[in-house]
Formats: sequence, C-alpha cells, structure tokens
Amino acid sequence: MKGTFYWKWAVLVLSVAALVSVGCAKKQTVKSEGAPAAAAVTEAPVKEIPPAPVAVAPATPPPAAPGVAVTEEKFSQFDDVRFDFDKSEVKEDGRKTCQVVADYLKKNPKAKLQIEGHCDERGTAEYNLALGDRRATAVMTYLVSLGVPKAALSTVSFGKEKPLDPGHDEGAWAKNRRAHFILK
Amino acid sequence: MKRSIGAAAGAFLLALSLFPSPAFPILYIDINAPGGKRMPIAVADVVVDPGDPSLSRGIPKILSDDLVLTDLFDLVPPTAHMETVTAAHFSGKPLSFPGWKMIGAEAVVIGNVSARGDLLAIEMRLYDATQGTLLVGKRYTGTPTQLRSIVHRFANEIVYTFTGVRGVFGTEIAFTARSGKSKGKELYIVGMDGQDLRKVTDNRSFNLFPRWSPDGQWLAYTSYRTGAPNVYLRNVSTGAEKEVIRFGGSKAPGGFSPDGVWLYAGVSEAGDSDIYRVRVVGGAVEKVVEGWGLEVSPSPSPDGRRIAFVSDRGGSPQVYVKTIGVAGETRISNGTGYATSPSWSPAGDRIAYTARSGGRFVVATVAPDGSDTREVASATDGECEDPSFSPDGRSLVYTYRKRGYSALRIISSDGRRQRTLVSGLGDAGSPAWSPGR
Repeated sequence: MKGTFYWKWAVLVLSVAALVSVGCAKKQTVKSEGAPAAAAVTEAPVKEIPPAPVAVAPATPPPAAPGVAVTEEKFSQFDDVRFDFDKSEVKEDGRKTCQVVADYLKKNPKAKLQIEGHCDERGTAEYNLALGDRRATAVMTYLVSLGVPKAALSTVSFGKEKPLDPGHDEGAWAKNRRAHFILK
Repeated sequence: MKRSIGAAAGAFLLALSLFPSPAFPILYIDINAPGGKRMPIAVADVVVDPGDPSLSRGIPKILSDDLVLTDLFDLVPPTAHMETVTAAHFSGKPLSFPGWKMIGAEAVVIGNVSARGDLLAIEMRLYDATQGTLLVGKRYTGTPTQLRSIVHRFANEIVYTFTGVRGVFGTEIAFTARSGKSKGKELYIVGMDGQDLRKVTDNRSFNLFPRWSPDGQWLAYTSYRTGAPNVYLRNVSTGAEKEVIRFGGSKAPGGFSPDGVWLYAGVSEAGDSDIYRVRVVGGAVEKVVEGWGLEVSPSPSPDGRRIAFVSDRGGSPQVYVKTIGVAGETRISNGTGYATSPSWSPAGDRIAYTARSGGRFVVATVAPDGSDTREVASATDGECEDPSFSPDGRSLVYTYRKRGYSALRIISSDGRRQRTLVSGLGDAGSPAWSPGR
C-alpha cells in the first residue's frame, strides 16, 4: 500500500515538475548573473534575476517639524460634553455646557474655539474616527443654534486615539466619549 | 506568469484525475484539507565556498522556519542527515537518495553559496528523493542583506511546487503601535515571520491606518503631524511622501484599486462620513457611497468592481457590499450588534470583518453575498479585531486586545492554527498584509 502511494506520488511529482518548468520557461529567458557551470545548467536550467532590492531606509525624521503636540491633552476652561455609546446626540447636561460656551464666545467675539471629538476604545479605529467627527459636528451645530457664528468654530476628531482616562471599564469609557473645547 | 500558473493548475487537475483520491495528499499537498498529510522534507547543510561558514546552517534555518510556518511540511532533523552535501553535487554528482529516503525524507533541499566580492551567489535545489529528480532549481545573486529575502523566495518556490499556490514568505505586515512612552502612534513594518521589525514614521503624532499599494511600494496612511488628520502616501523604500486627499475633515484610507489608480477612503465633511475614491496621480475625487449614516472602511474587491464598507445607516455599524457605479448596496453582516473593518480575500470569495459575538469582538468571514458566515478568531478573555488577509488567502493577521495589552496574531483562515506575530509594543493594531512579492 505504502509503495503504491509513493509511486503515484512520484509520477505526479514528475508531471508537476514538467509543468512548472514549462510554465516558467518564458519568464526565465531573462538573463541571470549566476555562473554558467555547464553541469549545473543542464540539471538546473531555471534561472532567476536577482531579487529586487529589499534594503529599506531607516525611519526618517518628520519632513516638517510639527511643533504640534497633538498627543497631549490640552487644558480647557469648559467642561467636556459627554455622549452615550455609539451616539452623537448632545444630551441635557451637554446643552448646559454648550450654553456656557456660547455665552463666553458672544462676550469674546474675537475668540476662536476648536471642538475635539473623542470616542471610547471599543470598536475599530476608522469607525471611531468618523464618530468623533460626528460628535464634534453635533456640538458645533448646537453652538451655532445658540447664536455662535460658525466662523468662530472648528472641529477635529481624534477617534479613540486620545483617551482622557486610560482605564478599560465603563467609568473610563464614559469620560472618553466626549467633545473637548480648546480656545485657540 | 499568471497564465502559466493557471495552466499548471489546470493540468494538475487533469493529472490528478487519473488517480483515485487516496494519492492526492501525498504528492500534491491539498492546502484546503484540514489535517492533511504533511510532506517529510530534509534541508541539508548548505555548501559555503568561499564565504561565511555560519551560512551553512543559517540558510537551512531560515528555510526550515519558513516551511514549518506553512504547516505543510515535516522537517527531518539535521542530526538525522547522513550524507554531507558538497560542491560536487552541483556539478553532476548524484545525491545518495536511498539514504535520504531511509531517514524519512521524501524531498531534499540542497544549497551552494559563494561570496563574490560584495555579492553572494546562491544556488538552491529541491529534489524528489523517491525518483531522484530535480523538482526546481534556482540561482540567485544578491547582497548579504538580501539573504533572508532570497531564501524566502526559494521557500515560495518549494510551496508552489507542492501546492500550486505561491507562498507568502518575504511578505510584510504594516501596523500601528505606540513608540516607547510616547502617547502617539507610529507606523511599523514586520516580516510575516516576525523578523525585521522596524519603525516607519517617527513624528510623535498619531499615524494610523496603513494600507499597501498593489505594488507594495507605497503605504497610504492618516497622520496628525500637522495637527489635523491628513492622508499621505509614503514610499516604503525611500521615505518620500505626498499628501493625497485634500478635502474634508477626518480621513481614513481603506484600500487601493487593484490597478493602483484609485485610493478608496472614508472622508468626513460636516460630521457626515462618506466613501470617496481619489486618483493617486492628479487627485481627482469621486464619491462612491453616500448616505446619512457614517460610511467608512472601504475595501475594494480583487477585481476592482466592488467594495465592502461599513455603514451605520441601519442603527449600528454593519458591513455592506456595493458594485461601483451601480445603485444599490447589500448588507452582508448578519449580527445584530456591531460589524466593522471588512477585508476582501485575494481570491474574492470571502470577506473578513470584525463582528460582535457573546459580548466580545471576534473575527468572522462571510461570502460576498452575505451567506456562509464563519467565526475564525475569538478569545474568551479579549477582543479580536481588524483582520487582513495574506496574499495567498490562507491566513489572516488581526489584533488581539485585552485591557490595555495588545498583540498581532496570524491565524489560518480556517481558524485551526495561530501564532503571535508581534507582542510587547504598546497598543499594536490596524495590521495590513502586504501584497505578494
């Protein structure tokens, strides 16, 4: 039984080898830098050009020094607006915060405010990036409805990249689902 | 080349049909048969003349590690080898095949290396030990730094010889992780064998969502290095970069069209994220999917005609498939919870995504019509997310997360075997497998 297996195997191997070499014959006409040792050539007619360079440059310094410490939490004189899981509605306490922000901006018409949208760590990063954008925009829209000129406002989403609380429970997640106000 | 593979595969079937099925797994390793028989193979010490003597064992080590990773081969241990391979075996002297058969090898690999100035000349051969015939032989020339890559290429030849499918040795995985104590995230690249880990960006902001171009030369990614999330194309070899999407707020690249002409991305404008595609050269923009919901994470099909993407239009994020330029979209995730980050398989027959099951995130695959959902990777103590297929479709790389610890893991697409690719880097995630090399 075993012998039969091997025999069949061998026959198939031969057909494979023949097919592979036939299949590759066209491509292998490219010149090789291998040494033309006669005996080896008859046995190993399959040549290959050298592989493409694989050396990769080490990490390069940033093209332009950013000078923007985007990874650091920035102080805000305003409270954060918090959100429910996977939601972007501005809730009652968030509206109160927005009223405080709107009153400030009306009294300080030259002030510029950036609204950061943030998410908790659950779910994939791309989805959370878009969700953070939607949260920041929801807050901006609400501020505009309170009479703040849109020109004073801008938004940026950090998705789940910049948690306020590094914990991994609902207490931390609730703090991390937020809009954060930065006076520029 | 593609055509000849197709021809070879077709002829394979013809040849195989001449025999009853029991012969099948012996020669031809059926990569789709769970628990199929492994091919016993011996990798002899390599002849080095002249050159670094450590290559004699070093090259077989790289090759053997590759072959073990496939789960298709059993390596006959070097201590059992009886014949010493010499330079004469590369100029006509036959190997003692009965001796190799006696120690259980059905296939034998031999190699010959010689240093020529700054270059290495490497000849590798694969023999059928039963028939004493050469199955494949290759000669390579390269620098010592290309050694691993050369050996990976021959490992791919061996896998191709026995399975008809190219191996994935020498391919790489791009991902994101925190660098040291920095709160930022940088891009990294690691070989699929876990070797050659290196940092790609170093700007201490958030660098996210690496996506390979089809030629493997470029990574598209999102960086906050100017303070806002912009998408850049970065040449992996030279580090050259250019900004590629010049509109909208939040932007996350999803994938390239197979011809490399388009980059698909989710882009938010006024809080509403839709799917766009942008010409890599020229920057022309087309909207591909629009809706009142959040549309993100586009993954083009291998034929470039469809995309899988995520939308929360139904109340929670779910995976949909759309034919580009044709109205109508089909939801293919059937969970009630949360389904994100689709990744199309190279053969086009499956889509992997992050699903929700039993309160955990798991990796599942589904047919593009939404049928035949299978859970592939799950953990009782953590989350499995963000799958990306290997170029041969046999494996997936994904993120495992558990309370602040995270690792990248590679699992066979049937879920049977898995290994850790990267651990010990903070918050490692968002893996993307490079195209075939």
